Amino acid sequence: MTIIQNHSDTQLPFQNQYQPAQADSLHGAGSSDIDELIQGNPKLWRGCDMAGQDAHGRSTGFTQLDAILPGCGWPEKGLIEVITPHWGMGELQLLIPLMRSVVEQGKWILWISPPYLLYAPALVQAGINTDQVLVVKLDTSCKDALWSMEKALQTENCGLVLAWQNWLPTKVLRRLQLAADTGDTLGVLFKHHDSEHSPSPIRLKIDDSYSENGGFNESEVTVIKARGNFRSLSANINLYQQA
Amino acid sequence: MKDPDSEAQLPLPWIAPESGAQIIQLPARPKNLAKQRPSKTATDEASAKPIAKHNKSKSLWYALYLPQFRELDSAQQKKYLDQLAGHMQSVSSTVSFHPQALICEIRSSLKYFAGIDVIHQKLQKLIEEQLQQWGLADNFFYAASPTVSGSLLLARSGNNVLVYRPENLRSALGQLSTDVLDLNKEQRRRLLNMGIRHLRDIWRLPSDGLRKRFGSNFVNQLNKALGKAAEPTQNYIPPPAFVAYYDLPYEIENLDRLLPIADELLAQLCDFLRRRDLSTSSLILSLFHEKRDSTEVNIRLRMASRSQQHLTLLLETHFDKLSIPAPAVAIKIEVKKFDAFFAKNDSLLQDEAPGYTSYSDSNLNQFMEQLQARLGENHVKSVSSATQHCPEHASLQLDYKENPNREGRAAISTEVSANPRPLWLLQEPKQLNINKGRLFYRKPITIVSGPERIETHWWSGVDVCRDYYVAREHSGSRLWIYREKSGKRNWFLHGFFA
Repeated sequence: MTIIQNHSDTQLPFQNQYQPAQADSLHGAGSSDIDELIQGNPKLWRGCDMAGQDAHGRSTGFTQLDAILPGCGWPEKGLIEVITPHWGMGELQLLIPLMRSVVEQGKWILWISPPYLLYAPALVQAGINTDQVLVVKLDTSCKDALWSMEKALQTENCGLVLAWQNWLPTKVLRRLQLAADTGDTLGVLFKHHDSEHSPSPIRLKIDDSYSENGGFNESEVTVIKARGNFRSLSANINLYQQA
Repeated sequence: MKDPDSEAQLPLPWIAPESGAQIIQLPARPKNLAKQRPSKTATDEASAKPIAKHNKSKSLWYALYLPQFRELDSAQQKKYLDQLAGHMQSVSSTVSFHPQALICEIRSSLKYFAGIDVIHQKLQKLIEEQLQQWGLADNFFYAASPTVSGSLLLARSGNNVLVYRPENLRSALGQLSTDVLDLNKEQRRRLLNMGIRHLRDIWRLPSDGLRKRFGSNFVNQLNKALGKAAEPTQNYIPPPAFVAYYDLPYEIENLDRLLPIADELLAQLCDFLRRRDLSTSSLILSLFHEKRDSTEVNIRLRMASRSQQHLTLLLETHFDKLSIPAPAVAIKIEVKKFDAFFAKNDSLLQDEAPGYTSYSDSNLNQFMEQLQARLGENHVKSVSSATQHCPEHASLQLDYKENPNREGRAAISTEVSANPRPLWLLQEPKQLNINKGRLFYRKPITIVSGPERIETHWWSGVDVCRDYYVAREHSGSRLWIYREKSGKRNWFLHGFFA
């Protein structure tokens, strides 16, 4: 069921110059010594590998997504950007397993001005303890929301900070990224538009994947950028496993 | 009772200051004086030795008796006595409470104030003023003697007397009526029937018999008054208070420049707290302006603390959003309420359960305080589900309370419907259009599962009768939609599975 494909319309410059499939065919049976040497050296990183194939990340709960993320899962800390054409495309479903693991660790989840009312019964159904969930109201000014996000990211007890902000300058993103690094926390920014030069280690896009012929249950999740991946990959994932 | 010594000196009304002063300057008599006294009665059997012993521990107790307090309720009385005790602390460090009375030790203060009269006059002025302020009669009784209970009995009798030497106590007390004793009705009646009117009559009775007839409390009371039994007293300890004030050398308008000064005052506060092993959960910072009302900042903490770093951080957050109407000329920090200090316990074993780290709440509390200070108290909400069928009411958003164990959780449950519920609910359901026979939101909608009928609130007039469906929009969103069962049977969007 796992579909990993090179994203066809990616504009990364080195895709044409380096094809992993060709590279593999270059190593014949005779080059197994070289292979061994290369793989035996931990200091050597090859572009065709995803950085650190060992599973040091936190599993996303979706095997297809794990397969295309470096470290086989979410990073331990830092910013994640989730880009959707509009809210409610399954972006929260994507994070449910992560939220559950954060809550199980005894940490808190802070929702900073979500666009709609957070509905507690759904959280309970997903196995998330609502005692560890805090919401900052929607009518909070952007400046205050960003301030809260930065402070929350610096606080170790807030394992996960979710925020809905559309246009953020690179400077602000970098500051949030720094805050997440110092606090050992994960921040998730939900937005409608991709910003190419964002310093966030992971940028995901959830796409419209409707097709008339029944490709109904799966959403296309594209990893636009992930620190360690050298090209963008995408997978079709059934995000609504419970519904 | 025929002690000539006592006859000569007692009772001494406190009228002429000279006479009072004279008594104090009397040289202490030899201790054997007490022994010389013939021990006629049973109460005295064992008395000679203890009195001799008590002679050494010289103390003089000044009792203040306020009969007008009898009409007040106990809470009011305590409040007034507390304040009077504060006044009495100006002459003595040992002040204790008794019903309608206050007693302080003044022997140690005699030298400093140059005599008991000075002390008395000082106290009299303070107390009379205070009583007048409360609108009470400004008369009170007083007495001083070497024992606490003795002074109390003497003061209650209404004779303002001074008994300086312990050996005179017996005869001085002997002249008092039995009314001054703390007795119940039955005991009073019994004493009367026995023909006992004065304490001196009791002296003649055997203590065994007294104990049997009146109980040990009665005998103890008398023994204490005579200095034959120890009298533990509970001393008044004034409530702590902290005020730090700083006059700025010049007017400051920039709050960032004020911060180091406030920080200095906070350092004083933390030092004060550390010395007394206290912490605080609320403090008031006032900024004074020329010709304007002062600006007050209330800093409230979720958990009492005495960490300067923490307080400074909170103050910074408050200053961030504070604007002052005029430059500040002075700054003051005041703390009225204190809490006991509880140190944080660290685990001895670092890795008890790997994988699960029990994060101390202190970090989170600090963060929450900052958040509330910046955003306002009611901007941070906690969510919980409620036992309600009506979807709008099944989720509660409550203020994140000061108290971590939030109250009023009766309606909150962890049991929810087995049917799918969306993560996001719309504030108001949004009506869906029907276009070419298909439901339409942003794009056409296809129903995935349902219906789930929810019928509730018929009793409130706003009848809720809906068929809920899980639907999928042709963009990938999963929606929670419903159709009204009554009225126009319209379709509504109610939530996103997000």
